[in-house]
Formats: sequence, C-alpha cells, structure tokens
Amino acid sequence: MNRNPTKFWRRWPDPIPHPKAEGVFPPTQAMLSEPVDPATAEAQAARLRKVWKLPTGAHYWTAVNNDQVGKWYTMTAFGFMLMAGLLALAIRVQLAVPDNDVLSADRFNQFFTMHGSAMMFLFAVPLFEAFSILLLPGLLGARDMPFPRLSAYGYWSFLIGGCFVLGSILFDVAPSSGWFMYPPLATEGEGIGPDIWLLGLSFIEVASIAAAVELIVGTIKCRPPGMRINLMPLYAWYVLVVGVMILFAFPPLIAGDFLFELQRSLDWPFFDPERGGDPLLWQHLFWIFGHPEVYIIFLPSIAIASMVVPTAARQPMVGYSWVVLSAVGTGFLSFGLWVHHMFTTGLPQLSLGFFSAASEAVVIPTGVQLFAFVATLMVGRVTMSLPILWIAGAFAVFTVGGLTGVMVALAPFDWQVHDTYFIVAHLHYTLFGGMVFPIIGGVYYFYPFFTKKMLSQRLGRWSFWTTFIGFNVAFMPMHIAGLMGMPRRIFTYPEASGWGLVNLISTFGAFIVAAGILIFAWDLIRPKSRQPLTERNPWRAGTLEWSHSVPDESWGVRSIPYITSRYPLWDQPDIVERMDSGRYYLADAREGLRETIITSAVDAIPQSVARVTGPAVCTLVAAFFTGGAFILPVFHLYWAAGVSGALAVAAVIWWLWTSTAQVPETPMKDVGLGLRLPTYVSGPDAPGWWAIFITMTGDATAFASLVFAMFYYWTANPDFPPQDAIHTNLFWIAAGAIFFILSWAATFGARLLNRRTLVKYARALLVAGPIAALCGAACLALAFWVSGMDPATHAYPALVAAIIVWTLAHVVLGGIMQLYCLAGSLKGKLTPQYDADLWNTTLFWHFLLATCIIAALVVGPLPRLL
Amino acid sequence: MLAPAGRDAAVLSDLFWVMLTGAVVLWLLMNGLMLYVTRINPEKMSRRRAEVLILGGGVIFPAVTLAALLVFSLSEMPQQRAIGEGLIVKVTGEKWWWRVEYWPDPDGSPIVSANEIRLPTGQRSEIELGANEVIHSFWIPVLGGKTDMIPGRKTRMSLEPTEVGNFRGQCTEFCGLSHALMAFGVVVESPEDFKAWLEREATDAVAPTDAQSRRGKEIFDGSGCGACHAVRGTDATGKVGPDLTHLGSRTTLAAGTLPMTVSALEDWLRDPERLKPGAKMPAYDHLSPADLTSLAVYLRGLE
Amino acid sequence: MFDRFQRTRSLWHMVAAPLVWAVHFVSVYAATSVICAKSAATGDARAIIVGLGLLAISVIAFIGWRAWLQRDLDPDDPVVNQATDDHRRAFLGHVGLLLAAISAIGVTYVSLPAIFIGTCQ
Repeated sequence: MNRNPTKFWRRWPDPIPHPKAEGVFPPTQAMLSEPVDPATAEAQAARLRKVWKLPTGAHYWTAVNNDQVGKWYTMTAFGFMLMAGLLALAIRVQLAVPDNDVLSADRFNQFFTMHGSAMMFLFAVPLFEAFSILLLPGLLGARDMPFPRLSAYGYWSFLIGGCFVLGSILFDVAPSSGWFMYPPLATEGEGIGPDIWLLGLSFIEVASIAAAVELIVGTIKCRPPGMRINLMPLYAWYVLVVGVMILFAFPPLIAGDFLFELQRSLDWPFFDPERGGDPLLWQHLFWIFGHPEVYIIFLPSIAIASMVVPTAARQPMVGYSWVVLSAVGTGFLSFGLWVHHMFTTGLPQLSLGFFSAASEAVVIPTGVQLFAFVATLMVGRVTMSLPILWIAGAFAVFTVGGLTGVMVALAPFDWQVHDTYFIVAHLHYTLFGGMVFPIIGGVYYFYPFFTKKMLSQRLGRWSFWTTFIGFNVAFMPMHIAGLMGMPRRIFTYPEASGWGLVNLISTFGAFIVAAGILIFAWDLIRPKSRQPLTERNPWRAGTLEWSHSVPDESWGVRSIPYITSRYPLWDQPDIVERMDSGRYYLADAREGLRETIITSAVDAIPQSVARVTGPAVCTLVAAFFTGGAFILPVFHLYWAAGVSGALAVAAVIWWLWTSTAQVPETPMKDVGLGLRLPTYVSGPDAPGWWAIFITMTGDATAFASLVFAMFYYWTANPDFPPQDAIHTNLFWIAAGAIFFILSWAATFGARLLNRRTLVKYARALLVAGPIAALCGAACLALAFWVSGMDPATHAYPALVAAIIVWTLAHVVLGGIMQLYCLAGSLKGKLTPQYDADLWNTTLFWHFLLATCIIAALVVGPLPRLL
Repeated sequence: MLAPAGRDAAVLSDLFWVMLTGAVVLWLLMNGLMLYVTRINPEKMSRRRAEVLILGGGVIFPAVTLAALLVFSLSEMPQQRAIGEGLIVKVTGEKWWWRVEYWPDPDGSPIVSANEIRLPTGQRSEIELGANEVIHSFWIPVLGGKTDMIPGRKTRMSLEPTEVGNFRGQCTEFCGLSHALMAFGVVVESPEDFKAWLEREATDAVAPTDAQSRRGKEIFDGSGCGACHAVRGTDATGKVGPDLTHLGSRTTLAAGTLPMTVSALEDWLRDPERLKPGAKMPAYDHLSPADLTSLAVYLRGLE
Repeated sequence: MFDRFQRTRSLWHMVAAPLVWAVHFVSVYAATSVICAKSAATGDARAIIVGLGLLAISVIAFIGWRAWLQRDLDPDDPVVNQATDDHRRAFLGHVGLLLAAISAIGVTYVSLPAIFIGTCQ
C-alpha cells in the first residue's frame, strides 16, 4: 500500500485499479489463418453444447435462451393479434349494414376498445421486442442477450398481463372507453374495465421497458469485436433508436396511469375539472406516449425491410448514413407530433401550428428511408423472392398511408376528418403497410434462420395476394365513408346516412384479409417435421445471423468473430469456416459458464467477458408475483396485492443474489487469439451499470411527467395553486432533503472507501445510508401530514401527494439496494475488487438524489411562487 | 364534406381534391418505380446517382412541397377560426344530446332550444362549446371542421354557411354507450327566414287546441315530465333534459336518432332504452296505448 | 476521461443538432402556452418564436459546419464502410451533417406559424 504521511486522506490506501483487456487486438491475418486442431475443436464444441443445453421436460419452461424466449414471445404476440383480429371481424359484421343489432352498444364498445388496445399493447410493440430478442444476438454474433433472465421475466409478465387484459372480454367486463381511455368518461366508468386496462397494461409497459433496456444494452455493448458503429447492421441501428424511444415514450403513460388509478381508487381529482383537475392533462400524457408509439411500431418493420432489401438486391444498402439519419431523425421528430391527435381540443392556434409543422417535417426522414430502398434495388439486380414481394406490398400500402398522413397533418384538414373513418383508413394503411406486411415479409425471410425450415412459396403467394387485395377492399372505402361524415367508434348508423354500401364493401374486404392471415398462420404452424432442413444461408445474405449452423445449435455462434465489414459474409472470406472451427473468440467454455463478449460502445474494442445467466425458476416466480401486485388491486384486494408485491421483490432479490455479479474464479481469462479479458468489471464498463443508467433515464422521464403536470395545471388553470391553498410544511421538506443528501453521500462514500479496501468504513456507511433514507422518507411524509392537506379536495394537494408517494417508493427501493450491498459485503459477494453492485447502487442514488431534490422543490417552495 | 354547404368546408374540399391529385401522381410514380426495379430488372444504376435520387426524392422535393402545403394551411387556420359576426350559438354536450342557446345579442337573454342547430347564410356565426360529464365533439360535416366540448373548459369555433338546406351533424368524440346516437339536425336558412324562425322560437309554447292534445298535456303534467323538461309558458321548467317548447318544429327526435313523427314519439316514450342505450329518460310503458298516443300528439303539436 | 468523449467518436455530437431542435421545440411550445394562458400578448409570443428560431438555426448551422469538417469524405469513395478510425469519424460526421440539415428544416417549419397566425385562439 502506498502511504503518504502528510495529509489525512492521502493516508488512505489507493483504490484498486479496474482490470483492463490485455494482449493482441485487432488480431493479425497470420493468427486468423492458423488452423485449429480438430480434436481440440471437438472437445470445445462438446463443452459449449453442454453449457448452452436447453432444459428438458417440464423444466423446458425455465429456459432463458434468446431463441426459445423469442419464439414464445413471437407466437404469443401473434396469438393475441389473431384474437384482436377476431374482434375486428365482429366489429365489421356489426357495421356491415345500417341499424344492425348483432352486437349491443356495450359489447361493441368493449370490442373496439380491446381491438385497439390489444393490437397496440399486446401485438405491435411486444412483437418488435420478441423479434429483436430472437434476431439481435444472431445479427451481432453474440451468444445471447446480455440479460437472458430479464427477457424471460419480460415474456412471462407479458403473457400473464396479456391473458388478464384480453381475457376480461370473455367475462363481459372488458374496458369500453376506447384504447385512449379519455377521462372523464374512463374515470367515471363503472365496473372494473378501466382498472383492468390501467393496471394490466401498466404491467405490460413495465415489461416493455425492461425489454427495451436489454435491447439497448445488447446493441451498444454486445457487438462482436471490430464491429464499429459505422458497420452495425441497420436493424441494430433501428433497435437502438426504438429502444431509446420506448424509454422516453412509455414513462409518461406510466405516470399518467399512476395518476389515473389514484383518481379511480382514492378519488384524487387529477382529471376532474370540478376540483381543479383537467381532463386534457391525460390527453397530453397519453399522446406524448401515443405518437412516438406509432413510430416505435413502424421503425422496426422498416428495420426488417432494411435487412431484406440488400439481400434481394445482392447489394449493400445504398446510403447507409442516410438510413441512419432517417432512423435517428424520425426518432427525434416523432416526439414533436403528439398534439396532432388533439387538433380539435381548442388549444391556441399557434401551438397547433408547431405540431402541424413538425408533423410535416417528419415526412422527410421517412421519405429518405423509402427512397433508400428504391435506390438500393435500382443499384442491384433484384431476384424476386417472397420476402421482397411482401416488402413491395408494404411499400404500396404504406405510401398511401403516408400521403394521407401529409393531409391530416394540416390542422384545418384534420378539423374536418379528425375522428372519422378517414382516420381509421389512414392509420390502418400506415400500420398494415408499416408493420403487418413488412413483419410477415420478415417472417418469410427469417423463418429459415429461426427454424432451419422454409415456409411454403405457394402458400406465401396466396397469403400475400389475398391479404393485399382484401386489405385494400376493406380500407380504401373507409376513406370515402369518412369524407361522407361517418365518425369513428359508432356502433350503428342510420340508413339515411348513405354509408351502407361503403361499409358493406369494407366488411367483405375484412373477411378476405382474415382469410389471407389464416393462410399465413397455417403456413407458420403446419407440421414441418418431414420437410428437409434448409441450406445454411438460403438467401445468400451478407449479415452474421446467417452464419448459424444447420442443424441448429443453441450456442448461437461457435466462436465470436472479428468483424471488418458491414456484410461480413460477403466481404470477409473464410469467416464462416473460421467461426465454425473455433478460430475466433470464446470458442470454449472451460469453466462451464455461459459467456459472451462485451465491447466498447463506439469502436467495439473488447472490454470483458460477461457471464450470462442460465435457466431459472426465480424469473417465473418473480413474474407471477409481479402480476399479482398489478392485477389484485383491480379487485380491490390491496393487502393481497401488497403481499404479492413484497414476494415479487423477494423473488427479484433471490434472482439477483444468486446469478448477478458473482465473484469469478479468476480475474482475467484467455479468450483466444492472444487476448485476455477481465471476467468481472464494475462501473461504466459493465453492462449492468448501463442497464441501471438506461432504466433510470426512463424512470426520470416518468418523474418529469409528474413535474410537468404541476406546470401544466398552472398554465391551464387560472387559479393554480388556489389562492387559499394549504402548502406543505417547508421545515420538514428541508429536513427530508438534508437526509436524502446524507444518504446519497453515504452510498457514494461507501463505494469510494470500499474500492480503497476500507471495507469496515464502507459497511458503516451502508448502515447509515438506509437509516438516513428512512428518516428522509419520514420527514417528507410528515411535511404532507402536518400541513393537513387533503388530496381528495383538489388537484393541487393530490398532485403533491402523488409526487411524494412516487418519491417515497423510490427511496424505499434505494434503501433496499443499500442493504443489498451491505449484505453482499458481509457475505463476501461484494469485495473491494468485485464491487459492481455498489457502483450500480450509487448510480441509482445519483438519479434518486436528483428526484428527491426536485420533488422537494416542486412540492415545497415552488407552488408558493407560482 | 364532399358536398360542401359552407365556406370552410368548400375550402377544405378544394384542398382535398388538390392533395388527392398530387397524392395519386406521387403514389403512381413511387410504386411504378418500385415495380420497375423489382419486376423488370433494369440496368444497374451507379451508387452516385442512387444517392442523388435519395437526396432529390427524399429531401428536396418533400421539403419544398410540404412547405407550400404548410404555408397554405397555416394561413387558412385563423380564417376558419375567425370571430363570429353577430349571432352566438352556445352548445353544451350532454349524455347524449345537445343543449342549445341562441344569443342574437350577447348582452341580452338567450333563446333556449335543443338537439337542432339553425344558422343563417351569409354570415359567420360564433359557436361556443361546453360539456357536462364527458367530452363530446361538435361537427357539421357540410359546413366545416369540428371542435371538442370539454367539461370544465370553454371552447369555440365559427361557421359560415353558404347554402340553404337540411343537414346532419354528429358527435365525433367517443362519449360512451350511445355515442353513435348523438346526432342533430342542421337547418341553414336565409337571414330573413332565420330571423323569423328565431322570433318564433323565442315565444312560449302554443297551448293545445284539440281534445287529444289537451289530454296529452294532462298526462305530461301528471307524469312529472316537467321535472326534467321545460315547456315555456307552462309549469314544466325542468332543466335536466332537453327543452321541449318547440319540439314539434324540429326535424329529428332524440338527438338525430328518430324522425319527428307521432309514432316515433310513442316508441320513444314507451322504451327509450331500446332506442338509445343508457339514456336517462325513463320508460313510460305503464301508460295505456291511448294515453301514450295522446302524449305523443301533444308533444308533436309543440311547434 | 476526455478521451471517451472526443468529438470524432461521440454519438452525442452526432445527435447534437436534433437535440437543439428538441430544445427549441419545447421552448417555443412552453413559451406560447405560458404567454397565451397568462397574458395573451400574442405579439410577444411571435417575437419570441422568431427569435428562438433564429437562435436555433444559428446553433444548428454551427453544428452542421463542424460536422461538415468532420465528414471529410474521400470524393472517390464516399461509402464509409471500413473498419478504420477514419471511416468511423467520417461516418459520424456525415450522419451529423444530415441530421443538422433535417433539424434546420424542422426548426424552419416550426417557426412558420409565428408568421401566419396572430392569435392565441
């Protein structure tokens, strides 16, 4: 130890340095061309196969491999889509003729609400996540996603939540206020329908954010060595953009759900104009989510097209930078569109003008994208295959939706067609063209990658033409119905309206679409055991996923390659042979652990070996109890929900304790090609740290939405906070803030001291931290309590209470994390060298401190100034 | 909207036809190009020219076209929301009907009506909108755009009808069970006819003249209809339901759901729930058929 | 430490222009909402919108110029698809430049309402 006698703090031991990669990188040609001894290779393959083996029997469902979870996820989302499609057929039957009474008004409202909700929340967004979980490791030559158990947890949450929400329709208690749930209609709604929507879908949104976190980390940290940011497959670029969009789009809705459910269960009047609330606040929060959502659905499908098109053209994508521009640009601009769903709400015309302008501007990156496809096809020679047929169909359909989109983005035109069937037609053209067609094209393209079997060319063609024709028959007449004045969401219309014929044609078309989708579904699930396996790269594509061996091996890639091209299979000769022979990285699993390589974010320089997790029951248990915590409050079983929530937290702790940040058997290991990598990293080099950072960014967005609500009320309501309002007690607010700063400082100090091997002091701080957090929480609660504010009387005290509840929940979580680190330190799981948990907890506390200070300001001094 | 009868709707209809033509041409060009490259396998194009295509088709062309559209629509917005020139119509959305007040003089007193909008041609009338309970949206397709009616907020719009005629308006924001059955009749008249009608509308209800109507009025008074409905000039002063003073002169019954006939009135009185699910109007099926007819005749006669 | 954030390697610099767009968008929206709700002095709102628009355009122009310098493509081989520092640098510069162009169009569009709409109604 290096000791300096002069200054007190200089006498502290130096911090333990973080291990860094050692050895050769990039590998030389000579190293790459050196053959591998076949006997060694065989032994390595046997070990890898054992490590990555799928669990069998009933344990199969504990699997976490990305290819398994991805398949369940995809099929579940597809199943929900079929059910939502059935609802659409029922809707079309009811509307086929004027004054029809096949469905009652109430049932019709349940059906259209669930059709929209299920298609959006149970099909479109989860399908992107499912597809990406399936594809991404393949595209990036990785063994698996960085957090396989998180994928599994997300899937089981999705399944439980989806069945709950969609199942409600069988009991005739489904939500019936529309998928947009506008208050006061939805807040006043009787029965449990709105609660099912709010709680069930919040549960799924949380799972969606979990998946987004994993996909972002997967894209920036799990690329193969050498795959710099300018070589990334375009699909990965889209995953990155969409992941970040989810992170900023979903939290406002979660915040909205939080307020909404508080109003429904505790009568806190956030949206009640009689008591200072405002129904439009929900519309803002909903559409800040809702419009980016459209692009969250659309961009992944474009991503699929950007994989199919270059393969069909036998040409690298033309204008790669342009496509990246398009993805990133669309991602940004899509957040400036939300008010175009609110053009008719009487907002200031100037404000409408901004959103109209931004809605037109977003056309430009989308147009760039489409022209990049056309240009690529023009540069190459197209070999027409089934996937490109679906993509071409998507192009034809989507351009119609895009062009009508240009029209409805003009505010005066929207005043006419808003909430009419013109919009129904427009949105289905964008979503079918921008999602369903390309996704099915993608399924035809990637099916041989997923299953090593081909789908039928003949059925595929039939399915395409049936769906394509049926779609246009169903939806083209809806434009006319809308222009004739037919509003949306009506369960019947009079004969005299003259809308009968166009509706009958639409209904007819809807059944043709259903037939087309059924043909596809049959092709997908028909038994294929007697069908021969495909060859290894049937489309002669250039990207890494087609290097996977046939028959399939659950290890993904035999060895993780070194990449120097955007299309390695086209440009890097011998790459597949070298991967197969184990010439590249991590060709072995000597320690019997699942591993993948972590690389730097921009230049993909290897940084460490990540030990990824294997099959587990704890994720299933955690998802089950999380589901309970969300679902039981619907039936007002609050105690049971609380117990379920506590059990969920316990299950998550069990999962983290037993499988994350495990002390490795050796600090460094040889990964092949003369490279030695650390087996344990903490801080910004670790994927877990990134995951916390990304999650907390989303969490901060949700919190920002609550703060936005305070300012929103202030602008929307001339008397906010009310002149005679009671405010929180400033003394206790200040005391709470000081305790939170102390708790944060204790956590931060514990991390610094622990790294400097002063373990005892670090433990002391980890004891002090939760105590200070608890005191701070008590002060914050007292500040509200002693003031005598009553949340049920007015939106102002209600919002203050909501912000305090939100903050307290986070402080409790922060305290649990401090105690987790303390326990780790005592049990030897957390040492001065292996301190990832403490880094992550400190990062959480950075965000938490910001939350607490802002919360203190917003509930304390700020309202006195407004 | 395709057969406009108002200034705003006509402008938007013209705008639509222009945009539709442009859209069809663009669609044919883009998809023709796509068909050409995928089916006909043309000569390979150089990558340089391909990038020019992306720049020209994806950036320059849309940036210019969209700017032109945007400039047109932004300059149109203030005109379509211009302040009205005299008449103010206040409309309040209820579940599922429309409370209507005409204010020819903003400082005077209103003329109360319901479920029908009458407007004069040749001037821009101010429409003030509000709602109780839930959000609705006020739309007359042939005249112009729509505006939402939001509880706790006042919203406004204005309309400038140009053609005389009978039209239909409807609620366009989903407002619950009978959203589909929340419509209204629209009558556009010449300024003179409108003035005459408004004067008539301001008067009290006509007293029943024949025996059946008189019997109908007795039933009306005896069944407590006046607790919810107002008939000016009588004891019925309820404010919960639509004003019935001149019910018989409206073109529709039950907010655009039924024709204004005696038999439709009878059906409505007997079982409103069947005709309009969730309606607050109670059923009067305990009345004898003869009494129901008398009541219907009385109501139909309130012209 | 600064090595991590050097310009030619930074995704943050690549998205600087759209970030300016986003900040500009939020600012004009917030300014309009507050002015329309609290004072209805539309003249102020229009002046602020035009001012913010000009400011944002200047910042984006500066970012675009820096990106232009960073782009520095080989005119005979503009496709930056090599696994080299140079190509990664030029790629990030190129995308940054294109994003600056789109952001400039976006800011211009969003400023247009101030010219044509004179009221808060």
